[in-house]
Amino acid sequence: MQPTGETTTESIGDRRPSSRTRWDATDLSLVAVFAALIAALAIVPGIPVGPLGVPITLQTLGVMLAGVVLGPARGTAAVLLYLAAGLIGLPVFSGFSGGFGVLAGPSAGYLLAFPLAALVAGAFARLILRGSARFRTGLLFLGCLAASLLTIHPLGIAGLMVNAGLPLREAVIVDAAYLPGDVVKNVLAAILAVSVHRAFPRLLGGRGR
Amino acid sequence: MRGFGSTLGLFVPGRGFLYRMPLAPKATASLACALAVVVWRTPLVAVIALAIAIGALTVGARIPPARIVRMLAPAAPVLVILAVYQGITQGWVRAFAVVGGITACLLAARAVTLTTPVQVLLDGVARLARPFRRVGADPERFALALSIMLRSIPYLAGMFVDIRDAARARWLQRSMRVAVTPLVVGAVAYAQRTGEALAARGLGEHDDGARDGAGDGVGVGGAAGDNARGDAGTSATEPS
Repeated sequence: MQPTGETTTESIGDRRPSSRTRWDATDLSLVAVFAALIAALAIVPGIPVGPLGVPITLQTLGVMLAGVVLGPARGTAAVLLYLAAGLIGLPVFSGFSGGFGVLAGPSAGYLLAFPLAALVAGAFARLILRGSARFRTGLLFLGCLAASLLTIHPLGIAGLMVNAGLPLREAVIVDAAYLPGDVVKNVLAAILAVSVHRAFPRLLGGRGR
Repeated sequence: MRGFGSTLGLFVPGRGFLYRMPLAPKATASLACALAVVVWRTPLVAVIALAIAIGALTVGARIPPARIVRMLAPAAPVLVILAVYQGITQGWVRAFAVVGGITACLLAARAVTLTTPVQVLLDGVARLARPFRRVGADPERFALALSIMLRSIPYLAGMFVDIRDAARARWLQRSMRVAVTPLVVGAVAYAQRTGEALAARGLGEHDDGARDGAGDGVGVGGAAGDNARGDAGTSATEPS
């Protein structure tokens, strides 16, 4: 089915704004299945941490994986689909929660940061995978770490300040509790991404996605 | 593979006026509940929202109180920690307002998903996404993606549990890598199989493929694309 997607892109591309790439059925199901993967990783019980009990789950691992495995566009779409499913009330967030109520909870900032994190991690991953194969795991790890430090942590801290009424200093301290786990998850995401791209070389890189 | 489907909180047949109510007012009420709780963080609003949510579940869907408590069990650790922290730092009244409000929102959302068949929910989402068509969104494909996602969650969660058990049996439970690699590789393979199955049925391709006469050889994107969305989930995404 891969060539089908390419002919579609080329034949319609001249009439359509190029900002919107055309996805074939496989792209669509990759997006959907990765949204499901984030959900599956999120609902397997997590460990509530810190005074506010924002739980450590593998949810962020799923978000990073969506970015580094699918690339920026499809990865962001997968995370957005996951968030949309959760917000309309399906219990796919950690702790089986769901619905607009989570936007009132202390972890709202983290949730809203996820699509941005996938976008940044995916952009890094595309660059890295187009380059040489050396140090790929290390570079992917740095890309994931940069993505989480640039998006998840600042927005998470903002969420803690707004929704839990913490002052900035305390919010930073609470947020710091997630850093070690984050580093581990980013290492894992990098290792997994290398394995997955070795198993499915045409998934990303060299195909303009 | 374990069945995670029932724990997902999706439609369970039953009786009560919530089952007969159309989706729009139910979803609006649930959204209003969340908005009220976010905008006014007072104990009174929390009490009203809780009363409405619990009332809707017990009267409208005839769900026994014990099951309502069980619904909250997975979220309980987070809620308790949040309540204790808020109580100590900002007073117990405030703690009740925040935690009670969040609990009410969770229950209200669950009341909607429990009493609405999945297909109706998906159609509602597609209708809701229709205004975004102007900016290039495709509500039908969005709903299709959502239905594939919903059917994949139990499969993937079951696979995750199976792989963890297998790793434990080989004394490898400490290695997260061993536990997650097969899951992700399996997810990609599953997605590609699903994509092939969709393409074979002419689903999931862009709609203009059909409108342009599909001159580019994507014949499958044609006539079947619009009408057969309903059975995409049942046939194409069955876990194999």
